[in-house]
Amino acid sequence: MSKLKMDFLHSLRRRLVLFDGGMGAMLIAAGLEPGRAPESWLLKRPEEITTVHRAYLEAGAEVIVTATFGANRLRLASSPSGCALDPAKLNSTAVRIAREALSEEKYANRFLAGDIGPTGRFFPPIGALTQEEARASFREQAEALECAGVDLFLIETMVDLREAMEALRAVRDVSNRPVIVCLTFERKPRGFFTLFGDTPQKAVDSLLSGGADGLGANCTLGSGEMIELACLFRPLTEAPLLFQPNAGQPVIGEGLPTYRQQPAEFAEDLKALAQAGANAVGGCCGATPEFIRQAHDRLFPVLPFLH
Amino acid sequence: MDYFLERCTQSVLEGDEEQAEELARQALELEYSPLEVIEKGFVRGIREVGELWEEGTVFLPELVMAAEAMKRAMAVLRPALTNQSETLTQGHLVIGTIEGDIHDIGKTLVATMLEANGFRVTDLGADVPAGRFVDEAEACGADGIAISALLTTTMSGQRRVVEELEKRALRPRFKVLVGGAPCSQEWAEQIGADGYAGDAVAAVALARRLIGIR
Repeated sequence: MSKLKMDFLHSLRRRLVLFDGGMGAMLIAAGLEPGRAPESWLLKRPEEITTVHRAYLEAGAEVIVTATFGANRLRLASSPSGCALDPAKLNSTAVRIAREALSEEKYANRFLAGDIGPTGRFFPPIGALTQEEARASFREQAEALECAGVDLFLIETMVDLREAMEALRAVRDVSNRPVIVCLTFERKPRGFFTLFGDTPQKAVDSLLSGGADGLGANCTLGSGEMIELACLFRPLTEAPLLFQPNAGQPVIGEGLPTYRQQPAEFAEDLKALAQAGANAVGGCCGATPEFIRQAHDRLFPVLPFLH
Repeated sequence: MDYFLERCTQSVLEGDEEQAEELARQALELEYSPLEVIEKGFVRGIREVGELWEEGTVFLPELVMAAEAMKRAMAVLRPALTNQSETLTQGHLVIGTIEGDIHDIGKTLVATMLEANGFRVTDLGADVPAGRFVDEAEACGADGIAISALLTTTMSGQRRVVEELEKRALRPRFKVLVGGAPCSQEWAEQIGADGYAGDAVAAVALARRLIGIR
């Protein structure tokens, strides 16, 4: 096992690891036009992405995540502003941009996660996506991230366990680095399920046997509901668990969307997530550097994680 | 309970398109009134699936398959209805995903479920400018406009549709329904829409309440 892999997994098993928050909304606040692929800014406005990474590092995130959520061939192809972009180039550029932010001496012990989001297409009976197509699209992305040099992979916001498994297999085809897989769950009267009906138990069984080093949930659920989900997950496995809730639901006034939840409340809920057994926590939609900063101060009140 | 009608219900519940279509044909052979077969057979199936989806017993694939089965049966039964001067449509909706937003899976599912539940639906696709919603609704004499937005950055387009209606003094003529991940009842009220639905099943209930004939 490489030293880096051991380092990250060692950290994850031994103490609480703080991930960063959202990227897209930060770029929109900086002027990204609504509806445009955020990835287009990797080439056009790289300095804005560096700024977001730096803000999360300053806030105390131990892991920052590349701006590559939608940088897979299938997803890019479905967007007017993304279809002309080369996935391999976007992913390697994203790693270089994040590495630049990490290059300061004081951030030497932080980690970079290569982000992989869904293809935006669906398997039958809903869509016509095939396993081979999904796997090839993910493999191209994973290969570019691996070659450019990420420390770990984060597969996230998956609503169909089958698609998450294709992404996981694709990463395993090209890399031995740690992989964490987060699914997106909804709360139904009968419990927590993905859109395709996958349960936490099924996620644990499939993802761990598929070679994931850690797993968890992100998006859709706010921090309160995420605590309930964490309590369900913890007894199912000893594997590291990551939870990245949304910061409440978005509310639009006259201008840009804002999230109703206050950073202090979010930070308190991340603490409760840690108490429920999360090995790592972070933020999803609506979580800005301020949320992560307050979370950092709430989670590590005595000693910052880098001492 | 009529055994044959029970099989119609089951075919939708099981999402068995071919069986649903075959049963619809048989129903006409057996001289059932099309309306009776729809209401006491197939519609019961789609409503039950909707309930099972809401409680978390079945999920997106089952819901989509059930709606497809329903549509196949309706394709057979609808032409027979006109013979009886029965109009089954619950109302007519124009639906689309707002400009700048290419997410159309949720919108398409809502359209499918509305159709499966007896509404006439004109699907404008994704990335639809606010003005076009109004143009199309006017052109086809729709009862309502359903607007999907999946991004916090595009949801403000839903407000623009309402504004466009007001500008053209057409607001009272159309009910406006909004949906999509970032939306809420509060948002609907804020922009002056008539209602919000959180998923495809809720969208059917909302459409029934706002424009449904029965």
